[in-house]
Amino acid sequence: MKKRLCHWAVLPLLAVSCNMLEPHPYDARVTGETGVNASHVREIEEKLAGRKSFRFAFISDTQRWYDETKEAVADINRRGDIDFVVMGGDQADFGMTDEFLLMRNIFNGLEVPYVCLLGNHDCLGSGKETFEKVYGPVNFAFTAGDTRFICLNTNALEFHYPEAIPDFDFMRGEYDNMPEGVERTVVAMHAAPFSEVFNNNVADVFEYFIRMYPGLQCCLYGHGHTLMESELFNDGVRYYQCPNIAQRTYLVFTFEENRYSYEAVVF
Amino acid sequence: MKPLYFKTIALCLFVLLFSRQEGEAQPQRDTTGGACQDTIWKREPQYRYDSRLQRYIKVHSALIPTHQMVQLYGGMGLVSFGVGWDYGRRDQWATDVLIGFVPKYEADRVRVTLTLKETYNPWRLRVNEHFSAVPLTCGLYLNTIFSNDYWGRQPEYYPKGYYTFSTRARLHVFLGQRLDYEIPPERRFFVRAIGAFYEISTCDMYLISAFGNRSLQPRDFLRFSFGLKFRIF
Repeated sequence: MKKRLCHWAVLPLLAVSCNMLEPHPYDARVTGETGVNASHVREIEEKLAGRKSFRFAFISDTQRWYDETKEAVADINRRGDIDFVVMGGDQADFGMTDEFLLMRNIFNGLEVPYVCLLGNHDCLGSGKETFEKVYGPVNFAFTAGDTRFICLNTNALEFHYPEAIPDFDFMRGEYDNMPEGVERTVVAMHAAPFSEVFNNNVADVFEYFIRMYPGLQCCLYGHGHTLMESELFNDGVRYYQCPNIAQRTYLVFTFEENRYSYEAVVF
Repeated sequence: MKPLYFKTIALCLFVLLFSRQEGEAQPQRDTTGGACQDTIWKREPQYRYDSRLQRYIKVHSALIPTHQMVQLYGGMGLVSFGVGWDYGRRDQWATDVLIGFVPKYEADRVRVTLTLKETYNPWRLRVNEHFSAVPLTCGLYLNTIFSNDYWGRQPEYYPKGYYTFSTRARLHVFLGQRLDYEIPPERRFFVRAIGAFYEISTCDMYLISAFGNRSLQPRDFLRFSFGLKFRIF
């Protein structure tokens, strides 16, 4: 009897240590690392300062594909030639708190810094608040060498009117305060213009605005779950759609002085 | 918050008023043949009204919860309070209704949840005069969270069939154990027995994730909860 009572006492301790005590799947109770994007942005900026060539990977739509995401992380680590990773959103399928924490823990296996964008699935329930705590603001930007990466929340369908999606104030702020030495720009987002999630009323204005950024190279996005390269506005601006991780594919972009190239890597 | 406050006051007033009317009505009924609630229950029905009232009271007395409970965690709130009914030949079934509270954490506000829980206890082992163990409790519960941030079915502004799941309602399944202590009759104050239990549970969405991913560990999709059950009669 005594032995059995001991077992009973051990169980709650075990549960606490394994983080198995959960008030609710959507509780938005964040444990572990927070503010991931900010600290990784600092790392990227320090590491690539002054460089005109670098290589980064773009992965997207990892929701509920934990196995494949783990394999992608292992594959990126194995290559060893990637400077940083950009995740294009939809790391949670239902917006549940633990989906973000599980994915963050998998991404933390990367040997290089990474940043995450907000996807439409990430917004469900208390998902957006959880995302903001774990990763930081949903609109952010960073400088990798001579290139400014502007990462935008374009999931207008998930927000009600008073919240500006895309946030032109933020985009204007980036334009007005472009750091010195930036010669090129890349715009990353989860859903591209003309997708059902985008605020298509301002699709043209959005394109007009991002073309004002210095040396706009291309736009990166996910959401569509297939590989696609297109000129959405027939104006010379290339849009690259990254497949979801279930396709066991990620994109690698190599930026060299005055040019860039990309390849789709199947792992 | 304010409307809720007013509603509470209105409810209290109603209850007060109602109980006063009951009190006033009592002596009146006594004078018309002693047909007060207490006695009509026991005596032979004299009029059709008496037997109807007896049946009415009998049916409703079955609705009095047999126990109250408090449960912590388990996806129904940090803490949940509930009432429930034990039934079945050996009280092997239990149905509970719980109200849970989820703290704000990073969300916009504190959230309230409602849980409907069904438990099956196949066996009971008597340890000694006072203690008995339920070596296996199992069942399922449906939890719904009250907040506009969650929906049962996707709102109209989404394209048709965009999200096919509900963010508001979660179905959980659980396995657990319970240890009951039957209080000696002379020491009872309000409850007949106290049971301490724990449960290991998972919900629909966690199961979906677990089935598709070999790399997920049990701790990634199993959840622990525990609580106390106060058996009143």
